[in-house]
Amino acid sequence: MAENKFPDVNDPATAPFWKGTRDGKIVVQACTKCGYLRWPPGPICNECLSSETEWKEISPIGTLWSYAVYHRAMNPRFKDEIPYTVALVELDDGPRMYGRLVATTAKVEPGVRVRAAFQEIEPGVTFVYWEIK
Amino acid sequence: MTLAKTAIIGIGATEQGEIPGQSANEIAARAAVKAIEDAGIDKSAIDGLVTCKPPMAPGKVGTDEDIGQLLGINPAFASTLEYGPGAFSLHLAVGAISAGLAHTILLTYGTNLRSAGASFGGGTRDWLTLAGLVHIAGPAAMAARRHMHLYGTTEEQLGWVSVAQREWAQNNPIAIFREPMSIADYLASPYVVEPLRRPDLTMISDGGAAVIVTTAERAKDFKKPPVYIQSIAQQSAMRSDQNPDKLMRPWIKDIADRVFANAGLGPRDMDLVYLQDATSVWVLQMLEWYGFCGVGEAGPFLQEGHTRPGGSLPVNTNGGQLSECYMWNWMHLYEAVRQLRKECGSRQIADVEVALHAQTHDFYKGAATILSTHAG
Repeated sequence: MAENKFPDVNDPATAPFWKGTRDGKIVVQACTKCGYLRWPPGPICNECLSSETEWKEISPIGTLWSYAVYHRAMNPRFKDEIPYTVALVELDDGPRMYGRLVATTAKVEPGVRVRAAFQEIEPGVTFVYWEIK
Repeated sequence: MTLAKTAIIGIGATEQGEIPGQSANEIAARAAVKAIEDAGIDKSAIDGLVTCKPPMAPGKVGTDEDIGQLLGINPAFASTLEYGPGAFSLHLAVGAISAGLAHTILLTYGTNLRSAGASFGGGTRDWLTLAGLVHIAGPAAMAARRHMHLYGTTEEQLGWVSVAQREWAQNNPIAIFREPMSIADYLASPYVVEPLRRPDLTMISDGGAAVIVTTAERAKDFKKPPVYIQSIAQQSAMRSDQNPDKLMRPWIKDIADRVFANAGLGPRDMDLVYLQDATSVWVLQMLEWYGFCGVGEAGPFLQEGHTRPGGSLPVNTNGGQLSECYMWNWMHLYEAVRQLRKECGSRQIADVEVALHAQTHDFYKGAATILSTHAG
């Protein structure tokens, strides 16, 4: 059986995020008690430990903290994609997310401003990529 | 509760490299036999056992019950760590001795992950794998890139971690990678995850190592000169990406401050330094957080050659995981003890009395120990 490399976008624990990406939005959990924006999704607030949560759209803009360029596929599933670049983005609203950097001719350097770009990689599955603003 | 004064009185290692056809437990047991022989004791003197599960091992591997059975012992205290490399197992043993659970504890570790074809290439559907951030080389490359951005560190400066360790390995008969490697060779090797190259990343190898720890009082009765555990400290960073600058691992400084304060010593007092090197970037970071140079200054510090044979700060004199073997910092501990016992032949450093042995579990936690030839 082929490895299932796509996320279960209907998993109740993460489905609102995946619906958000299909709609071109970044949607994360917000603690209804303390307001902390939580990423990745989880059952309780990492800050105040409340389990009361709602899903909230946040700004798709952030700053590139750093990046790594894969010249070798450290996992065979990526062998057709090398070279590819993974970014760590600090979103203006707080959460930190890892995702692919859209190929660019611009100078890639920590500190540059980036915005989310939404790419459907499989019917119903849209990933957040990052592009330099 | 005060920390009991303890000492390492036995060490053992199997062959390192490829050990096909042997289970991890068998390798761990053979390492234990070597340590028992080295200590010059009968196995009946052991009343504690600490084992750990090898990385990436499927199922129930490395448990105290299975290794205790192989060794035919009934220790008063026995425990298995899910994550038990070097210092984490050592600290558990020191704590158990302090608590009076045992007085002489055998720690042993064995792995056949190379022969078993273990993969470090990440999971399947977790968030990092979905992003393509697989293998420790990815986040380490990000950390290196950030260091270069903030402090002007160059790829050549980072390269001196691997080149210096290769120079050390050339005098270590156990080391798996011993062929000469110049800085030009390093820079000519292709990127794996840019800016990291193959020599920046740990090898994968099979092997076993074991250590016997006892009270300082008892240590005097054994055959080999005791190596005393002067100080231990740990810190975790489990908030993960909730911590700003997670990949720079600034919490390592908390371990450094505590391990030095507990010993009443500072970085300048260290004659030998062992820093676990899953990647060269970890060495770069730890040189700074342990205060061997200023934060941001590890690049020039490495380029000046301080960590090379003949330099002012011998680091990973066994060659480390980049050149000797992948033994999860156990062989760094083995080397530290042998250097302090003056058993290292052509790479022996003169007049060494105090060593720092430090490691990290990537971004999760770290531990450090100060080892000394002095009981005080």
